[in-house]
Amino acid sequence: MTSTRLLAAVIFVIAAVYTWYGSTYSVAFGDVLGPSVFPVIVGIPAMLLSGSLVVFPGGGIDWPDRSHLFRQAAAIAVLLGYAWLLTPLGFPIATFGLIAALGAVLGGDPLKSVVLGVVMSLALWVMFDQILGLPLAFLGSIFGG
Amino acid sequence: METLSLLASGFTVALTPLNLSLLFAGCFVGTLIGAMPGLGPVNGVAILIPLTFAFGLDATSSLILLSAVYFGTMYGGRISSILLNIPGDEPAVMTTLDGYPMAQKGQAVDALALSGVASFVGATIAVIGLSLFAPLLARAAIHFGPADYFALYIMAFATIGGVAGVDPRKTLLSALIGLMIATVGLDPISGVPRYTGGNFHIYDGIEPIVALVGLFAISEILMLLEKHIKDRVGAIRVDGWMPSLSTILSTKWAMVRGSLIGFIAGVLPGAGASLGSVMSYSIEKQASDKDGTFGQGDPRGVAAPEAGNNAASGGALIPMLSLGVPGSGTTAVMLAMLISLNVQPGPLLFERQPDLVWGLVASLYMANVTLLILNIPLIGIFTRLMAVPTWALMPIVAAVSFVGVFSISNSVFDLEVMIAFGVIGYILRKMDISLVPLVLGLLLGGDMERNLRRAMSISDGDWSILLQSWISITLYVLTLAFLALSVWLAMRSNKRGKSRRFEA
Repeated sequence: MTSTRLLAAVIFVIAAVYTWYGSTYSVAFGDVLGPSVFPVIVGIPAMLLSGSLVVFPGGGIDWPDRSHLFRQAAAIAVLLGYAWLLTPLGFPIATFGLIAALGAVLGGDPLKSVVLGVVMSLALWVMFDQILGLPLAFLGSIFGG
Repeated sequence: METLSLLASGFTVALTPLNLSLLFAGCFVGTLIGAMPGLGPVNGVAILIPLTFAFGLDATSSLILLSAVYFGTMYGGRISSILLNIPGDEPAVMTTLDGYPMAQKGQAVDALALSGVASFVGATIAVIGLSLFAPLLARAAIHFGPADYFALYIMAFATIGGVAGVDPRKTLLSALIGLMIATVGLDPISGVPRYTGGNFHIYDGIEPIVALVGLFAISEILMLLEKHIKDRVGAIRVDGWMPSLSTILSTKWAMVRGSLIGFIAGVLPGAGASLGSVMSYSIEKQASDKDGTFGQGDPRGVAAPEAGNNAASGGALIPMLSLGVPGSGTTAVMLAMLISLNVQPGPLLFERQPDLVWGLVASLYMANVTLLILNIPLIGIFTRLMAVPTWALMPIVAAVSFVGVFSISNSVFDLEVMIAFGVIGYILRKMDISLVPLVLGLLLGGDMERNLRRAMSISDGDWSILLQSWISITLYVLTLAFLALSVWLAMRSNKRGKSRRFEA
């Protein structure tokens, strides 16, 4: 219950800030309704609904336990790392890291995950770059690729 | 007769080598996605959309590919329902009830074959319905003015969450969040930047495709990680594929009834394939369960829901194409692709781009034949591939999602947006807030605002224009009736302490 309340409160604050900002947009002429009315029409009901969830949450949330939360955080870190390292490292190396690490986070045997990473990163590169003609850098910018 | 000649010209579009190969690839990939537990129609279609962009496919070819995948997932979902007792995707839940017991009794081959035939019957009836009814609906919709479209969008948001016992406040809130996100970027009419914080990356707004790959694919990985992933029980072995014809024939009326019910459920907004199969099963049970054999491996209990979910998925294409308002989660995602390719579905689509509409319809007829072959004689391929464990499947899904999103614009910012939406999607799903209304809001928000402002320009700022036509009044009344019904159902199911979501 409490976490539903808390998250609904966060949505309420976002909706309130959204509505307040939205009401400040204006143009001098030419447009009957202007850019601010629609955000206000959307923002106020969003405040009402999220507000009502704060007061009457209507059901709680089962959060995963600590070890699973840790796995989720690790997965997000892996995904972000991939987004940032894709261009510097090039597709096959970065994708090897992504698949091997995610495989391990998802509970796969580490050795098998590494093998899967090697095989699939090369297979995906061959399939997309060589066969389907989607340009994916083989070597990244740090290798001068 | 006009329909037949349009359909004939559709076949000339669908029979080009490119479209044919996309059709076959889509059927195969779709069946596979459907068969794999953990990947459903929405995720499967969402992951493939960026790739269709990256390959520069035109709207017709993309739509053919995605519809083949969509139909394929509906066929494929039954395979793991029957052999593993785990539904491959949500609409296949009802198929486990009688499909798995049939397989346990040693009738796995019959169960797979008859559900394949049922899928074929359901989907074919739906495509015939699509050929007949979609043009009629489109002709009626031509009389809609801007105020009527505004009312139609309001109805779409109110109904997309479905009737099935979810808190209606959450559904509406989800749609509003989507609308809020849709206003980010340059205002289309006045050019004022809204909610950009000066970040030039989002002057064009949040790219819906990027957002929805995050919402569906990345959040699915986070959902999987919160459960302890354990090895699945072994699948029931299948030897051969030749079924007993008499078993299949004995279910012919169950198939026809299931198809008709499913088709109606699919056309109605907010129902979709899952509700189609639930309704088909329960009505078939009421009609035929005289000896109490349902739930213990009755073939009719396999045929009805399978015909129902396939008919519903075809039916869901009707409002999407003819009104521009999707009837289910997957068609909402397909709408995203069309809008991003600057194709506005709706009544004018049938006049301006008959090639797209009829090319799609023609390829759906062929997709059904292809899927029937893939799903009965070639079923062995899928029962083997289905054994791929989750820890190996999901990293590959993630990699393919990244490839697709990255190759649209080579932008790291897009990848970050995708991951952020994955986290947002996960949190909303934990709050029991369906993501489908959010996607719909994100997609239709711009158009909804334009129609509202156009209507207000016509009336010079007089709000009563919104209630001046009979069409919009009817739509508002239907919306209110629907909301009243879903509030009532939500209170009733709250009392029972049970709620279930139907999204696909």
